[in-house]
Amino acid sequence: MTEVARARPTSSDDGQERMPGQSDMWVLVMIEAITFSSYFVVYTIYYCRSAEAFLRSQSQLDLALGVINTLILLASSWSVARCVERARAGDHRAATRNLALTAGGGLLFAALKLHEWSVEIGRGNFFSTDEFFSFYYFLTGMHLLHVLVGFIALGVVYYQLKSPARRSLEVIETGATFWHMVDFLWVIIFALLYVMR
Amino acid sequence: MTVAALAQETAPQPPASSLGKLAWQWRHNPKLELWLSWYTILVFYNVFGIVFFGITRTQPPPKAWWDLPKIVWWFHDKGWGLLVGFGIIFVMGAFATASTALITYSIRRMSVSPAFAWSYLILYSLAAVPGMLLTCIALVTGAMRPDRDPRLMGLLYDMGFLSFSGTMGIFLIGSVVWGVAILLDENAILPKWFGYFNICNALTEVVVATCCVLKSGPFAWDGVIAFYINMVVFGIYTGLFITYLRKMIEREDMDSPQVRGIR
Repeated sequence: MTEVARARPTSSDDGQERMPGQSDMWVLVMIEAITFSSYFVVYTIYYCRSAEAFLRSQSQLDLALGVINTLILLASSWSVARCVERARAGDHRAATRNLALTAGGGLLFAALKLHEWSVEIGRGNFFSTDEFFSFYYFLTGMHLLHVLVGFIALGVVYYQLKSPARRSLEVIETGATFWHMVDFLWVIIFALLYVMR
Repeated sequence: MTVAALAQETAPQPPASSLGKLAWQWRHNPKLELWLSWYTILVFYNVFGIVFFGITRTQPPPKAWWDLPKIVWWFHDKGWGLLVGFGIIFVMGAFATASTALITYSIRRMSVSPAFAWSYLILYSLAAVPGMLLTCIALVTGAMRPDRDPRLMGLLYDMGFLSFSGTMGIFLIGSVVWGVAILLDENAILPKWFGYFNICNALTEVVVATCCVLKSGPFAWDGVIAFYINMVVFGIYTGLFITYLRKMIEREDMDSPQVRGIR
């Protein structure tokens, strides 16, 4: 803790609190949050319109898989936070280890998502089967696309950590911010698709 | 003092009249070509908006689930609008290239490989303009002889609206190319957040792909997700890129080695 505090976690040179990462990335987070919120509102409206049909289809989803996916992504979010913390403290080896854990979590999440889709397709639930499954594939597909973009962000963080000549804390925090956004979006998608009934 | 600034300094004072000022700018403004491109973009997008949303009423798009009698009725109802509106686009469609040219120029000004600029240029040259024109050709063909076999009218209707949405894939890749170039650039030609916005715009345009599968609901080509939300993001994005291209031109130093290197 003292080591981290010495490393000036989120304060600028004049001692004032600063926003972690590039402020430009926060613009993306804001736009993505607004865009996804609009998708969530549309989903909720369609859900309310035909709640019975949605419930019927929703009950076919594997809640356990959804919970496991959520835990994996939350764990990966924790490890990317640890990565930033270690990078701030100058322990780049530990930061890289945590980054590898994050990427591993992301890969596991993607693999489980593909498995879940294959199970649903095997049951005859396609994108065009009904409105609920259209939303299900759309929301989880859009999210998976963000996870894939997140791998690029993690790659950039790794590139920074690899060489002592780079190691820009700001870029590392920026990559982590994107990964946290991916996690945050999933938590809402999970609540809407699997839990809200 | 730079050569361009010196040339402007030694040029005669601009006359008081508006026409005189315009003529002075034409002769002495070193950024004339850039400004011409920028105003062409402005004119194009305004005409595009008026034609697609006002004259032809093809945006917001009509329902994707309509049956053949309804489609034939639509062609009858919108006939003159389609013919006049898309006639204007046939005349002015090439103005769209100004946008491609100025964005390509912005990428060439960045500290990134010219491959980004060429990729962007080729993507838009080969796909965006023909994609837009294909929509116009299909719908004008339908409007020209609305007494054709209804099945043919249905084909033209689907082809027209699917080709309009289909070109979004090209915009998507173009948006990624421009966005990545902005993020890698060290010359600060455009703000980094706009680079991220490009990525965000590309991610929302993926949504349009769903219109090939569903004919009704939020994912159809007229749906709230596949069209309306996407159009709002794209509209804001377009407004922003026009604004930031203007700012880029205002800041441009025409005598800098980087600018002279690509001219």
